[in-house]
Amino acid sequence: MSENAQLDADLAELFDDVFGTWREARGSATLELDLDRALWATLDETGISRLTAVDGAGASWVEAAGLLGAAARAAAPLPIAENDLLSGWLREQAGIEDDGLLHSAAELDGAGAANAVPWASQVDRITLLWPAGSGWKVADVATSELTITPGRDLAGQPRDAVKADLSALEGSDVSAEVAREYRLRGALARAVQMNAAMGRMVELAVEHATSRVQFGRPIGKFQAVQNLIADAAAEVAISGSAADAAVLLAASGQADLDRLELSVAVARSVAGHAASTVVRNVHQVHGAIGTTFEHQLHEFSKPVLAWRSEFGSVREWDSLLSEKLVASDEGLWSFGVETDG
Amino acid sequence: MVIQLTPSPVVETADLKALRQKVRDFVAAELASGGFTPTINSWLGGWEPEFSRKLAAQGWLGMTIPKEYGGHGASFLERVVVTQELLAAGAPVSAHWVADRQIGPSLVKFGTEEQKQKLLPGIATGELFFGIGMSEPDAGSDLASVRTRGTKVDGGWKVTGSKVWTSGAHASDYFFVLARTAPLDTAHRHEGLSQFIVDLHAPGVEVRPIISLNGGHHFNEVFLEDVFVPDDMVLGTIGDGWHQVTSELSYERSGSERFLSTLPMLEEIRQAMSRGDIPVDPELGRYFARIMALHQTSLAVAGALSRGEEVGTPASIVKVLGTTTEGDIAELATMVPGAASAAASLDTLRRYSDQALLERAGFTLRGGTNEVLRGVIARGLGLR
Repeated sequence: MSENAQLDADLAELFDDVFGTWREARGSATLELDLDRALWATLDETGISRLTAVDGAGASWVEAAGLLGAAARAAAPLPIAENDLLSGWLREQAGIEDDGLLHSAAELDGAGAANAVPWASQVDRITLLWPAGSGWKVADVATSELTITPGRDLAGQPRDAVKADLSALEGSDVSAEVAREYRLRGALARAVQMNAAMGRMVELAVEHATSRVQFGRPIGKFQAVQNLIADAAAEVAISGSAADAAVLLAASGQADLDRLELSVAVARSVAGHAASTVVRNVHQVHGAIGTTFEHQLHEFSKPVLAWRSEFGSVREWDSLLSEKLVASDEGLWSFGVETDG
Repeated sequence: MVIQLTPSPVVETADLKALRQKVRDFVAAELASGGFTPTINSWLGGWEPEFSRKLAAQGWLGMTIPKEYGGHGASFLERVVVTQELLAAGAPVSAHWVADRQIGPSLVKFGTEEQKQKLLPGIATGELFFGIGMSEPDAGSDLASVRTRGTKVDGGWKVTGSKVWTSGAHASDYFFVLARTAPLDTAHRHEGLSQFIVDLHAPGVEVRPIISLNGGHHFNEVFLEDVFVPDDMVLGTIGDGWHQVTSELSYERSGSERFLSTLPMLEEIRQAMSRGDIPVDPELGRYFARIMALHQTSLAVAGALSRGEEVGTPASIVKVLGTTTEGDIAELATMVPGAASAAASLDTLRRYSDQALLERAGFTLRGGTNEVLRGVIARGLGLR
């Protein structure tokens, strides 16, 4: 029989409760999204701020993806992926002990610089990954020891320039595989966030279409509107399946990096193209009110567009897949659907 | 409101993977020995009874039919794996396709003991082929408007009417006919319909070919004039036809044939790029990713079906996006740079491309038009 790897229902409910309670009390949306320390403290107290820590809850990518998704569905401004799946994992690879502080992570160039580092100006520490000679190094550094120039992405999320003095950093050696896996983990996290936010957008479209009355009936009674929503929902469905597959593979801990890369690339390609249809259709269904700051739709559509451009663009994932397929000795079907585990 | 669009994902077990590999090895051997020539759309066009019997000898026909009726008592997911591998290779599976996909499961579920003993063993050996008689000249997407009539007579029923788009009726043994057995009640249009198992060689049955726009012959119109169907060839319960027909639709809609019809062509594009005949293009990766995502979704639906869950919405999603995607792949080969070259190395690609472009129009129609299916999805979302 086939296994069903699914998020535990009680845990899913807990996640939704935490973010639902927060959102009800939150007040109005803001144009600039700042890290919500009070909400972070709630996650900490609930024991879900560092889910995949080896010595902690021992949860896998399945639970982490559930938490990431729940946060994205509530538009909660938190560096969950950065703190747990990127920084926490990198520190474990480098043998750096967990300190319970709030972290982000950044891949620096050889000169010690990185642009658009998520949440850099608002966390306590940043786990840095940089190329050194033929290998890579990792160090965990307090933000006060770095030069940080604040910036924002199109969704208003902090995306800051970071500059480190590499000569003053010792750093622990890690392999090139660690750097490669780091990027794949980041890319997968964004796919999970995109799918959750897109799923929420489809729900908003259904809610709007069943309540907004024009020509004497809810606009959702018009086939033209139904088709827009059906097509958006379909894209979210297959995109979600692709991300599920990649999350399960990552959770298994048994995939080699080529295999993981293939699965993540599929998830990112599909999610990226889905975003085009979902953002366009769901905004179209909402009409003019969906273009305002007053309506909540932008809290989901803007991050989807921002996340799509992080850890690789859509075209880059498409190209990467093409190159891998063309270089393979196998046919594309057996390349994608493995038989030997 | 929280909408759950896809069932929980399926992770293939070692047994399923081993079965998949076994089919791959079989396909490779067949290809090496010239056992078949791959085509696109091979589940509609590739009618080769000898190949069907080779599959039967492997135990890959009627897989989910219980062993006591000549089947193999396999799981639905095992059948999915086998059919995927055959479709991906463009193997000719159309002769047994309808019998294997729909007729067998319907007989297992609704058939009498006598019907099961009479018909199921032949399905599993590839000796009995079937058609489906649902659409009519005036009943396409709106299936409840069928006019074919069944009238009770001594010892059976007289069936009169005409069915259209019946794939393979000219080469099959029987077909399932959906007919009205009680007058139409416009307030309850789905009532009063029944299913009959009709011998295509019975007196009063006339099969006329419908030639496709590319000259091919898969479809037929079947005329029924006072065709006698004995009581023991009624399928299931008189008056219950609508329920019987629609209860199996999710199997049909979420199947791998809804996104793999042009896969051999995508593979040929890949090979042409590998050879350097056409430049490597990101569109290859894009469509590969889409196929993989559809595969994961289809597998999740299959898993849910075998657990008895309601999957009308995700099954329709697979069909809408899958048939659109396989049609887009049909065009891809003519869009990429270099495809217009007359190089002999592109002959296979051109053969697929010509065939696919001419058959594409049917992809988004057969088994329920995408427009009707968008309505099904909208209903699942609570919009109607």
